[in-house]
Amino acid sequence: MTSKGRAVLALGGGVLVTAAVAGIPLALRDRLPDPLATHWNGAGTPNGHMSFTTALWAGLALWGVAWIVLTVLALRGPALATRLGRASWTGFLFGWAVLAVGMQGTTVAANLDAADWRQAGLPVWQAIAVSLAALAVGVLAGFLGRGAPDPHRDPAALPTVRLRAGRRAVWVSRASNGWLLGLSLASLAGALVCAVLAVTGVLEGSALTLLGALALATLVGLATCSTRVRVDENGLRVGFGLFGGLARRTPIDRIESAWVETRSPTEVGGWGVRGVPGAGRVTFMLRGGECLVIRRVTGGEFAVSVDDAGNGAALLNAYVAEAAH
Amino acid sequence: MLLSLDLNDPRPLHDQVAGAIRRAIADGSYRPGDRLPPARDLADALGINANTVLRALRELRDEGLLEFRRGRGVSVLSRPDARAVLAEAARELLAEADRYGYGPEEVIHIIRELT
Repeated sequence: MTSKGRAVLALGGGVLVTAAVAGIPLALRDRLPDPLATHWNGAGTPNGHMSFTTALWAGLALWGVAWIVLTVLALRGPALATRLGRASWTGFLFGWAVLAVGMQGTTVAANLDAADWRQAGLPVWQAIAVSLAALAVGVLAGFLGRGAPDPHRDPAALPTVRLRAGRRAVWVSRASNGWLLGLSLASLAGALVCAVLAVTGVLEGSALTLLGALALATLVGLATCSTRVRVDENGLRVGFGLFGGLARRTPIDRIESAWVETRSPTEVGGWGVRGVPGAGRVTFMLRGGECLVIRRVTGGEFAVSVDDAGNGAALLNAYVAEAAH
Repeated sequence: MLLSLDLNDPRPLHDQVAGAIRRAIADGSYRPGDRLPPARDLADALGINANTVLRALRELRDEGLLEFRRGRGVSVLSRPDARAVLAEAARELLAEADRYGYGPEEVIHIIRELT
């Protein structure tokens, strides 16, 4: 199915789901208490409530946000370019639809004919059944909607450069995310303020928790806000962090090929280290755009967003060819 | 930034590095306004001293190719002129000819035959 076909499916099917999410409570409004029980504890006893109108909007929002995001992804296209992207998209669309309708259905069923929201008990098995059904439908839809396998790359079409005897060739590049750096510095400032408040005794207990959280955010942010990528005769080195101290190395004899792909955070699932465990595809995504992708001899793929990726891929392929001789 | 150094080049190392960076800018992979990788990264990758790379970068700044900006690192200001690029390519050609045992006179002769 094409990306446009999927967009039509998402729009058309989504209208039905929206109608169900809004229609079920509206049709039974006369038999429902107001406010409605909308949250239950582990034993199925209600412990939270919302007015009928709020509950209706909350149910619509739960579904609607996912629906809009998925439709936009399908209309834009690139997220569905890979098999993994198509499977996740289809699985999420169907699984989330089942979850949204199931949650609305069980909520209404629990509240049906109850005099007051406190009497609206929800059997726990229903909540578990809805979750499991959503998961099962999602996995099945993902499997059925995965589409054709990803095309294999033609070795002759890979970029390469000529290595000359007696010359040493290296490629160095970087990518950084200014937003992430800014956020890290902001959380560093917050951590310092918390530290001062804790030392002066203005804040206790809670300040230490906040200090710990902000310090962690600073460290993680600084460790991932930029990459420094290098290709030389030994292989690929990806250094993380502001100073590139942490590094991931892939020796040249473990690399099968390298190429450039344009990937966006929406395709790989966001920023940072992105991948599905076991799928063998990991992307280190700092910004949308050019990514250097390598395929390992063992079959996995690793991609890193970096400027001037074409030259890096070309040099890697040249060294791979040289190492093979 | 793709850089290559001739291990047998008798020129001072900073001249060679400047030549390699000039070529990388000339081939269009770095356009005016693009930021260069930090000098330390280039030095680490080439296995040379960071000061050597900085000297090369200053040479290119004096040529008007690069621009140093506080807090923004080093970025490309303009493309090198054609003569500087050709001189670099000719130097490479002469080095390669030398490996096959041909001197400059013979290279000139080959060029005459071609034109």
